[in-house]
Amino acid sequence: MNLTPGRSKRLESAISILLLVVLVLVGIGVFVRQFYGDIGRFGIEAAALQGLAGEATTGSDERTVLAGAVPSGFEEYSELKVYEADNLYEKINGKAPLYTDSGFEKLFCVRFANEADQALKMEIYLYDMGAAKNAFSVYSTQKRPDGEFPAQWNGLLYKTANGVYLVHGKYYIEVVGFAKSQDLVGAMAAVAESLKAGLQVGDDLWDSEPILFGKQGLVAGSSKLYLASVFSFEGLTDTFTARYKADGETVTVFLSERADPQEARKMAESYRNFLIENGAKEKTAAEKALAQTVLDFYGGTEIVFAKGRFVAGVHDAENHQAAEKLALRILADLNQRTKGAEQ
Amino acid sequence: MGAVSYLAYDGDGPRAGGDVKELVELPDFSIEQRDGQALSIVTGSERAKTVTKAIELLGGIERFVKAGETIAIKPNVAFASPAMLGATTSPELVAQVVQLCYEAGAKRVVVFDNPINDPASCFTISGVGKAAREAGARLVLPRENLFKYTTLAGGKLITDWPVLFEPVAAADKLIGISPVKDHHRSGASMAMKNWYGLLGGRRNIFHQDINTIIAELAMLVKPTLVILDGTEVMMSNGPTGGSLSDLKRANTMIASCDMVAADSYGCSLLGMKVSDLAYLKKAENAGAGTTDYQSLEPKVTKVS
Repeated sequence: MNLTPGRSKRLESAISILLLVVLVLVGIGVFVRQFYGDIGRFGIEAAALQGLAGEATTGSDERTVLAGAVPSGFEEYSELKVYEADNLYEKINGKAPLYTDSGFEKLFCVRFANEADQALKMEIYLYDMGAAKNAFSVYSTQKRPDGEFPAQWNGLLYKTANGVYLVHGKYYIEVVGFAKSQDLVGAMAAVAESLKAGLQVGDDLWDSEPILFGKQGLVAGSSKLYLASVFSFEGLTDTFTARYKADGETVTVFLSERADPQEARKMAESYRNFLIENGAKEKTAAEKALAQTVLDFYGGTEIVFAKGRFVAGVHDAENHQAAEKLALRILADLNQRTKGAEQ
Repeated sequence: MGAVSYLAYDGDGPRAGGDVKELVELPDFSIEQRDGQALSIVTGSERAKTVTKAIELLGGIERFVKAGETIAIKPNVAFASPAMLGATTSPELVAQVVQLCYEAGAKRVVVFDNPINDPASCFTISGVGKAAREAGARLVLPRENLFKYTTLAGGKLITDWPVLFEPVAAADKLIGISPVKDHHRSGASMAMKNWYGLLGGRRNIFHQDINTIIAELAMLVKPTLVILDGTEVMMSNGPTGGSLSDLKRANTMIASCDMVAADSYGCSLLGMKVSDLAYLKKAENAGAGTTDYQSLEPKVTKVS
């Protein structure tokens, strides 16, 4: 098409004006929309999924294993997201310190949904805790008292009405269901098994509950490991607790191994002073061997002593007699353990 | 284009000293106190019924919402977690309060929060977004331009800190709705802790001094009404929970004009005493309310 110079100039001007008008309209549209806060009108379902898009550049092994753990009839509902210590709070907020104080390295999160029924969703929390001991600590301190330990499942693993929780090497894993459904729990168990089979963890394994002072009277599944602090006392780190039955009562006992006997004595003294500062009163022990170790803390019995490298005792027992009975048993156990060391 | 550039040209160039923050002050939404109508406790299993009764015992929704007003409702939608896990405010409860506001003649009800997880996911998965919209509320998700900086007079932590200001500034009344939850760091998350969702920035640093930040939030925010939902209480592994085993049915709904009083009663649902939560006394000492909730002569009843 041949245009005269005059017509060509007018056409160029018209196109330029048209483009400017379009740009101005787009600008006005953006300006108006940015003050319209109701994002829900613009499809928040889609935004929810987009918001889950992965951004991690690490954890390729975990990614591969998680990708392979999608159970039959399910699909990935969100992309994998990885959290590290400095942004873990973005996922679990106030619970982050529980993990970061216990050796946390990474959290891998992904959701799966049933292809036929999208209401059947699950979210997998794969925590890399750096070491099996750390993984056991966060597993044990959060363990649900009504958790079931199905006989066919091996290792540290339990289920509730909507979740499966386990330790595998340095990993602590939670598979949380978004609905109460037997089918979903079955699929979650399959995910757990798949993760156990796929994640390579070497020799650093905690496959069973630690037994503090023998199996007699031990309440199954009650053993816990507190790495950072226990009973609100920050000085007492790396402490195991467990519940034992004695005289029909259930009593919490504790054990912490220190670097040497001197540190153990100091720690026991510090903890005892902490209790007294917070209102505990000295109490006469019925048993001679427990002299000067017993305190009354607002009606509960506390017993604290050091033996060799160990600090041990009883915490908040309702029944004084049962508390002393357990304390004597602990003492006898520690006498055996420290016999060689003291000779 | 040349003209636009000319108009946009800033002949003075950038100012020295970086950005100057415009500080704002959150409005005071509290209403006149009435003897014997500051705290209500209603037991019952159906949230819609218990919250309606709890508000009725305080003088009815008309006491809190006037015709033509804009009401801002702040639920706890911190996590992308389904309602059944109890980590977020019940969608059913949010819907009922929105409906009550409209029945009282509210012009507009806005539901907002600044969640920990991705906001859209939180509102979607918790069910709060859908419930609020279906009840006719406008959903406001946090965006950068909705935040303004504020400083709490006499505060230690809230200094030049961004808060989700715009939805609040545009409202005539402010209502907080939160569940009763165990909290790993603070012991409990209830009505006062719910205002943590107003904070922007790297607010996790406040977890180092959690009792102070909760007390400061109680000083900063002066709501019209708080509703504390103890229908199902997260007894352990809070604030996220993750298992139905973490929940215990307590069938209790609390409404109050005094959030310190509401939390002081609420902690009993977690098996705690007022002295177990350091922030309660701090807030009381700062004048945010009373821990002696009995002094408010709470209205207590049961609905079937």
